[in-house]
Amino acid sequence: MSHIVIDDKQCKACYLCIDECPKKLIKVSDKVNNLGARPVEFYDPNGECLGCAMCATRCPDLAIREVYRG
Amino acid sequence: MTTTLNKSEGKVLIKGNYAIANAAVIAGCQCYFGYPITPQSEIGEFMSGKMQELGRAYVSAESELGAINMTIGACSTGVKAMTSSSSCAISLMQEGISYACSDELPVVIVSVMRGGPGLGNIYPSQGDYEQAVIGGGNGDYRIIVLAPGTVQECVDLTYKTFYLAHKYRMPAMLLADGLLGQMMEPCLFGDYPYPEVDNSEWMLTGAKNRHRRVIRSYAPLAEDQCVFLNKLFNKYKVLEENEVMYDEYMVDDADIVVMSFGSMGRNVKSAVKACREKGLKVGAFRPLTLFPFPNRKIEELSHSAKKILVTEINMGQMLRDVRLAVNGRIPVEFLGKPVGSMIDIEDIVKKIESMIEV
Amino acid sequence: MATQVFKVPDIMIDGFKFGFCPGCDHGVAMRLVAECLDELNLQENTICASAIGCSVCIYDYINVDTIEAPHGRAIAEATGVKRAKPDKFVFTYQGDGDFASIGLAESMHAALRGEKISAICINNTNYGMTGGQLGPTTMVGQVTTTSPTGRNLEYYGYPMKIAEQFALCDGVAFSARVSLDTVPNIRKAKAAIKKAFEYQIKGLGFSFVEILSSCPTNWRMTPQKAHDRVRDEMMKVFVPGVYKDILESKQV
Repeated sequence: MSHIVIDDKQCKACYLCIDECPKKLIKVSDKVNNLGARPVEFYDPNGECLGCAMCATRCPDLAIREVYRG
Repeated sequence: MTTTLNKSEGKVLIKGNYAIANAAVIAGCQCYFGYPITPQSEIGEFMSGKMQELGRAYVSAESELGAINMTIGACSTGVKAMTSSSSCAISLMQEGISYACSDELPVVIVSVMRGGPGLGNIYPSQGDYEQAVIGGGNGDYRIIVLAPGTVQECVDLTYKTFYLAHKYRMPAMLLADGLLGQMMEPCLFGDYPYPEVDNSEWMLTGAKNRHRRVIRSYAPLAEDQCVFLNKLFNKYKVLEENEVMYDEYMVDDADIVVMSFGSMGRNVKSAVKACREKGLKVGAFRPLTLFPFPNRKIEELSHSAKKILVTEINMGQMLRDVRLAVNGRIPVEFLGKPVGSMIDIEDIVKKIESMIEV
Repeated sequence: MATQVFKVPDIMIDGFKFGFCPGCDHGVAMRLVAECLDELNLQENTICASAIGCSVCIYDYINVDTIEAPHGRAIAEATGVKRAKPDKFVFTYQGDGDFASIGLAESMHAALRGEKISAICINNTNYGMTGGQLGPTTMVGQVTTTSPTGRNLEYYGYPMKIAEQFALCDGVAFSARVSLDTVPNIRKAKAAIKKAFEYQIKGLGFSFVEILSSCPTNWRMTPQKAHDRVRDEMMKVFVPGVYKDILESKQV
């Protein structure tokens, strides 16, 4: 199943990935990370992720570490 | 220069600049980077042909900033590389020299001094003693400085400059002047007399079968910078212990020791001979290494001699280092002029005689 | 069975953490460089000359032999490295201030000599690390900390179009400008970097890629707005495209 892996310790909360996701599967977390930022989290209850890697391509901090398709 | 020198068995009559360049080639200099400036342009001219002929690298750099940094880049790969220039253009290299010290790279710089400050003129001068020995780059650093006084010494000390730069992994400068660069004297090249230094522990080759290496001077933490500079200055101490070189002539019983460096030593020696013929107890002393400076030897001389005379083609630069080494024990007098031909032998003799009369 | 379509490039240093401001495109540009080095299998044969400014940090992230050059001198040091070791892959990663202002003479003469090195230049229209001052690419009208009323031509003169200028140098094999404002453009940027690297490997000459990047902190913008600015303002003046490609006889 397509999905992404986020390292929330690397996320600086620029939220560029949120706009990129064609399925709107990335949202701001309620938690606060080690940088004092509210990182993004992957939320895909219905298995909609396409594995397009747009989010990871956009992420300037390589916080989205892995993307799987299929 | 039409003849292609390389090694030679017997003596050849050759200009100082060509002698330096040919010695660098024999020393195994793989890359030369430079920008023309009188009175050292023959070095680049010789190198442009010779390096191509040998399949080595020559780049006619866009500026001395480019030249010194290209030399740094080449040295970072462990090869022998050099640049050469003169006074006002050595000024442009000061940034690179500071970086090369911090990077601990064996950059070889030849400085053939002319008149200054500013554009000055192209007459011989020794006004860049302080530029070489103290330097104008930022931060605490030293570079090795060797000062030849004859064309033969240009050859011998070029070899030594390459060797010491690599042995101590730091920049080294051959400090000649326009007189030496332009004069012809017979000299012998022979072979490069020093062992090759193994740079394999630090040189950049691409991170194959080992961790990658970074040659950098950026030290974000003050503590790291302290550790590094202490290490650097310990290295300078080792140099001062082991690598001091000087030329002395009849100093053992001398009441007056005349000190000079580089080409000025030639007339000083003649003046001392003339004084000896008159029965005056005079000797000559000439550091070959300006850093490390022969502080200890000069201190010894300040116990055995009654007075010291420093002569330079400048307004008194080595003078200060001599005074520091003498530390007020005996009078240190100065005879100099800012630029031009060497001070006449008669004038030196006159000065010595005046010091004895008083 | 899902296949992995994105990973952290192998050449990134273990445990690295980009130190850039949130939303800064330096992270994207460095990742693209890393991906190209990986894909061309260059890790063991590469020597990088790093520059001064935000780009200096490259050696904290990419695992290759690196020499840190003084401000503006990365190209000169890369030249020295390449001349000493012509079989090595040598590249620089610089900002526009480093490449096109303080280091312009070094950069342009290396381009004219056709040094077989690759230069990556980040254009973010200001000096980022020092707090957003006017630089060689600051746009007409742009407010910076040293152009408080905007860059007016009477007072500051014109910005430089780097990729076009370098395409005019005969020693240049490849000169392109790319943008990181959208994902499709990021992919184009990677293709250009890869081509620049390949042209060095083929020994064709100096290869150059100018990358339009955002600097949200100094532009006082959100990362999203900053990309809008790249697209709406920068790309209209600094038009992306390939300005020289000697294999396709493309020349300005």
